[in-house]
Amino acid sequence: MSTLLKVENIETYIGQYHILQGVSFEVKKGEVTVLLGRNGAGKTTSLRTVMGLTPPSSGKIIYKGEEIQGLPTFKTASKGIGYVPEDQGIFGDLTVEENMKVAMKKQDGETKDRMNWVIDLFPDLKKFWKKAGGNLSGGQKQMLSIARAYLNNNDLILIDEPSKGLAPIVVEKVMQSIVEMKERTTILLVEQNFIMASKIGDRFYIIDDGTSVHDGKMEMLVKDDEMKKKYLGIA
Amino acid sequence: MKILHNRSTLFLGAALLILVLFPLFNDSRSMMILLTQVFIFGVFAMSYDLLLGYTGIVSFGHAMFFGIGAYSTGIFLDRMEPNMFWFLVSLLAGFVIAGIVSYIVGLLTLRLKSHFYAMLTLAFAGLFLVVAEKWRTLTFGNDGFTFRTPELMKDRMTFYFICLGVMALVFIILRRFTHSPAGSVLQAIRENEQRAESLGFQVLHYKIIASVIAGVLASLAGSLYAVSLRFVNTSVFTMDVTLDALLMTIIGGVGTLIGPIIGAGLIEFAHHWLTELAGTYPIFERWIIFFGILYILVVMFFPAGIVGSLRKLGQKKKAVKKQNPQQKKIAG
Amino acid sequence: MDLIINLALNGLATGMLIFLLAAGLTLIFGLMDVLNFAHGGLFAWGAYSGVWVYALTESFVLGIMGALLTGLILGMITEKFIIQPVYGNHVQQILITLGFMLVLSELLKVVWGPNQLSTSAPDYLAGSWVIGEVIIIKYRVFIIAVGFLVFGIVQLVLNKTRVGLVVRAGVMNKEMVEAFGINIKKVFMYVFMVGSALAALGGILLAPYSGVIYAEMGMEFAILAFIVVVIGGMGSFPGSLFAAILVGLTGSFMTYYVPELSLAVNMILMALVLVFRPQGLFTVKG
Repeated sequence: MSTLLKVENIETYIGQYHILQGVSFEVKKGEVTVLLGRNGAGKTTSLRTVMGLTPPSSGKIIYKGEEIQGLPTFKTASKGIGYVPEDQGIFGDLTVEENMKVAMKKQDGETKDRMNWVIDLFPDLKKFWKKAGGNLSGGQKQMLSIARAYLNNNDLILIDEPSKGLAPIVVEKVMQSIVEMKERTTILLVEQNFIMASKIGDRFYIIDDGTSVHDGKMEMLVKDDEMKKKYLGIA
Repeated sequence: MKILHNRSTLFLGAALLILVLFPLFNDSRSMMILLTQVFIFGVFAMSYDLLLGYTGIVSFGHAMFFGIGAYSTGIFLDRMEPNMFWFLVSLLAGFVIAGIVSYIVGLLTLRLKSHFYAMLTLAFAGLFLVVAEKWRTLTFGNDGFTFRTPELMKDRMTFYFICLGVMALVFIILRRFTHSPAGSVLQAIRENEQRAESLGFQVLHYKIIASVIAGVLASLAGSLYAVSLRFVNTSVFTMDVTLDALLMTIIGGVGTLIGPIIGAGLIEFAHHWLTELAGTYPIFERWIIFFGILYILVVMFFPAGIVGSLRKLGQKKKAVKKQNPQQKKIAG
Repeated sequence: MDLIINLALNGLATGMLIFLLAAGLTLIFGLMDVLNFAHGGLFAWGAYSGVWVYALTESFVLGIMGALLTGLILGMITEKFIIQPVYGNHVQQILITLGFMLVLSELLKVVWGPNQLSTSAPDYLAGSWVIGEVIIIKYRVFIIAVGFLVFGIVQLVLNKTRVGLVVRAGVMNKEMVEAFGINIKKVFMYVFMVGSALAALGGILLAPYSGVIYAEMGMEFAILAFIVVVIGGMGSFPGSLFAAILVGLTGSFMTYYVPELSLAVNMILMALVLVFRPQGLFTVKG
């Protein structure tokens, strides 16, 4: 499969802190690529750097064959990258409907189709259509956030820890939706929950202390107990 | 470092000596008065520096403390006897009122974002201005009033030495304070408030202390100012006074103490000369514009001010010699 | 009765002027986290430029247009050259906008001279209506109407258009709006320009109301606007209308009954809000 996104040796500073010290990974079209690693390893910053929210000081980010590092966030997004941040980024005072509308750059038929599809995927959204985003449950917020990222014609969606703080049954639901979405778009996922990651991921990268240290097919990691123990702290 | 420290102490000592000897060689009365003003505003600007430079608090109402001092001295010397006893009482009264007001303002806003303190002090200063205008029985309103000063302070030269002494004293006290453990906490707050808080310091507590000390010292400057003019009116509460402190501190160099004194010198002298020039060239009537623009440029491009920028230059030279840049590595 | 109605109208009219000033302040703050201390300067510039055009053309409508144009242009300059270079640094921003305020009000004196200018309402807005015992000054009603009209229009734009939706979303979470492919900086610029134009509108409306304009009026009204923004909640548009009317009415009644305390009462109101509800009476959730 062809490479959609290629990140080459990026370094990112936040203030005086050298957070990313050489992260590289590739996302292949139609796959779910998972960034794994301990808390504070630099996974979230990797996503934010791709998005242009924390621009890299060096390294390359190539999306669809075009260098996009250092572009302002809105331009990166316009290239067709959707983003689901760790805190979901819901507009608390806006209704579910308005939250969706902010995300829709176009109002054409295709976008409407996407909206209908995503509402079918998350029926809860329709149910709370006029409710303020701030009053949704954690799981509903997560679904809304994922739905929003899908509305524009994005070929790549970055999702940051969708399972965080959710009840196991809700995690199951969110996971299911990502599996379905995978049929239509490519996903780059950051996830701490290894069980979830291993079930839906095709390929993994382990990030440790701000550098990417290992990668491969997900099946490989599932069998490799030693690596799991070393970098993820699980046996 | 030790050498550098000694050298700057030497420099300060020399500067002080020149200022002490100055009246012996100088026979220009206006020059002496001008320098006295520089000393008074030096105290005022240093008090502002404690807030802005050492704690990172922006106040837009510092004039109110200055005005509190000026009015309390004016009122006491006018209504009571113009002697040193009542002058000291008036100082004390100014300190107490300024202390209470700064405590209240600090308590209200210092736990919030920096905007609030700036806004509230601006509004409070506005309130004091209105009170000074309206409470005519006490303040004689807009026109203000003249009063007699204690015998000791009547002589311009004596008063020059008093002000110089006060400025030197305030400088030493503030230098001690900012180098004390409490002073380091203040600077930690300025650098990173959350971090200081998480280290277990009662940030609000320290900020209020800084705010109260700054208020009291500003009141002291106001008292001396009133004596120097032998007159007080509502202009001491106006925004212009606060702006003076801002300009002096920022242009001189925030967080340096000596910077504000240099700034006070610059602004006072420029004020003096430009006002004279305005007599011949009317464009200089609006001289404050030049300072406004200069100030904006300094904030934008040289936020460290004169002294801070000079120090940075010095440090760069040293760093080049050392060739050992540190890098912090902390993953997030 | 006559007295109370007139005090109320007076308070409402003043409240509306403060609202026009506070509206821009609160929107800019909510969206950009910038407290623009030069905002009062835009108010004064609106008044002077408007009165100048009004005197030149003898058309009050053109005067208002002139003020709005001045506001838009000065807003753009402020945003581009004063705010953007120090974006994200609060202390620098606060310091620099105050410096700009100083420059604006001094420049005002360079252009129009240091003395105050006087002006009066156009004929069709001058005079008053007499209804029974009650005398109602037309110009006050006009200001109140304009105030509500502006509030209505801005509310409509904020709530019914995509631009408004983006602005409201931006107040809550800027990064997310950008992540949807929207250039938030451009949005900032427009909001800044509109906010400045509203301030300038307030300035020109004040001119015939008070009869004279002077450079310091910018700062005087800015202080009231700050109080309003704190009481109403920074970033809340309806909050600033409510608080502006409150401050206007308090000012009007107190000035009549206990003039010494009028500003003090507003300060006490603000202090109470800061103690018990530091986020303001109306708040915006992220």
